[in-house]
Order: sequence, then structure tokens, then C-alpha cells
Amino acid sequence: MAEEAVFDLVHMEAVSYVFQGEKISEDEAVAKLEHMGFATGYRLVERLTRESGRFKDELDIMKYICKDLWVTVYKKQIDNLRTNHQGVYVLHDNRFRFLSRMAAGKQYLQYAPRYLAFTCGLVRGCLANLGITCVVTAEVTQLPACKFQIQVQRG
Amino acid sequence: MAVSGNYYFAIVGHQDNPMFEMEFVPTNKEPKKEDHRHLNQFIAHAALDLVDESMWTTTSMYLRLVDKFNEWYVSAFVTAGRIRLICLHDVKNDDGIKNFFMEMYETYIKHSMNPFYVPNSPIKSAAFEKKALFYGRKYLTG
Repeated sequence: MAEEAVFDLVHMEAVSYVFQGEKISEDEAVAKLEHMGFATGYRLVERLTRESGRFKDELDIMKYICKDLWVTVYKKQIDNLRTNHQGVYVLHDNRFRFLSRMAAGKQYLQYAPRYLAFTCGLVRGCLANLGITCVVTAEVTQLPACKFQIQVQRG
Repeated sequence: MAVSGNYYFAIVGHQDNPMFEMEFVPTNKEPKKEDHRHLNQFIAHAALDLVDESMWTTTSMYLRLVDKFNEWYVSAFVTAGRIRLICLHDVKNDDGIKNFFMEMYETYIKHSMNPFYVPNSPIKSAAFEKKALFYGRKYLTG
């Protein structure tokens, strides 16, 4: 159980590290975290897909993200996956790991995006290495639940 | 007694760029002429289109034989991350080639975990080459 705390703590430190310094803007810091997540996801997915084989199509890849990747990284599955079958996927997580340590409700809503940036990048990096270019954004209305929206760039 | 053949192995990245190349010749033969090397690259590059086509027909990573050019057979192996491992050979050696691909895949994954290695860039590690030589001797040329 203790090894779960390692990732939580390193991530917490990464977030507070990029926000150090008085002149750093919110956007810059969030972009740094997202890039960190991207580089991590890109390499991670090569290692994790060793056993899972190749994927049939885009939906297969999304299911892999929701199940296998989320279980490996966050020790739980995504609670709900929705799609409009035209390149937009929404992943609902009712108890996101990095937000679960904060008070539930709306108290820390303004800080929540900082703790989601790395994950957005992680998902984007994984999909990039699997051949899908996309934009990943996150939305929180009430901690600890959050939504990740994946928009696949086609054409 | 198995006929040992000549093999040319290449790892191709996302931009159809060669990341790693290696040739395996039987130990009892003399070194080949220089100009064959260009031909190998040409054949492997031409086979990439066929690899991309057959990639969609199956979910397994080992694609077996994808192309034939004169006396050269081309076998391919595609990973989930779309890295293509191509092997040119002039004798059929499905099992040996499959094992070789699996081992090179493992070696590649370990190498990609190196923070100093930029993904999709040429692989210049001496350790990687040693491993490739070792597995080549073990599974290909014998």
C-alpha cells in the first residue's frame, strides 16, 4: 500500500514546484505540468502495452485508457466513458485519486485544475504514441469527481 | 541441419525513419559486397507500405511474411506504439525470427525507458547493439 503514496507525493511536489516563483503565471505552470505528463505518457504506454497487444480501432484504445491504464496508474477504473462517435470522448472519474485528499465539495475548486494538468498530459502522451493526435481538457464541478474530455484531431 | 541465411534487421520509427539497423551473416561465409546494403534499405523501405496495410487486418504484433523481393523475404512485427521491426531474410525461419522480434521488442522497451533516449531518434547505445548481436546469433544465424 505504501508505494501508492510515493506517486501521490511526487505529484504533489511537482505541482507545488512549478508554481514556485512570484512571476510565474497560472497558464505557464499548468502548461509545464501538462508537458511533463505528455512525455511520461508517451514513454509509459510503450512499456505498458507489452502484454496487451495491438488495438483494433480508436474505441478499443479509449477502452484501454479507461480500464488498463487507469488501473495501472490510479488503481481504479474510469467510472463512465461517453462518446459522440465523432471523435469526442468524455471520461468520468467520480473519485479522482489526486483530488481525493482534498475536502469534498467546492472549497478548492479554483486549485483543482493544477492537479489535473499532469493527467491531461499523460492521456495525451499515451494517445500520441498510439497514433491518435488529440486535445485533452479537464473539468471539475465538485471535488473529488472530475471529467476528462478528449477531442481527437482528424484530417 | 538448418540452412543459415543472411538477415537484415531494421527498427523503423513513426516518420518511416530507420532507428536501428543491423546485418547478420552466417559465421562461415565471407563478408558480402558493399552494395548489397543499399539494396536492403530499399527493400525494407518499400515493404513499409505493405506492413502498414496488413497492420490493420490483425491485432497480433507478429505479422509474419509481408513481402517478397527477388530472393529476399520480408517479415514484420508491429508494436502497439506503432514501432515497426522489419527483418529481411533469404531463408524461411518463422520461429527464429518471431523469437528474435520478441527479444528485440523487450530490449527496445527497456531502452525507451532511458531518460536520455529521445523517442523516434536513432538508437546509438553500445549495449543495445550487443544485445542485438547476441540475439541475432542465438535465433537467426545460429
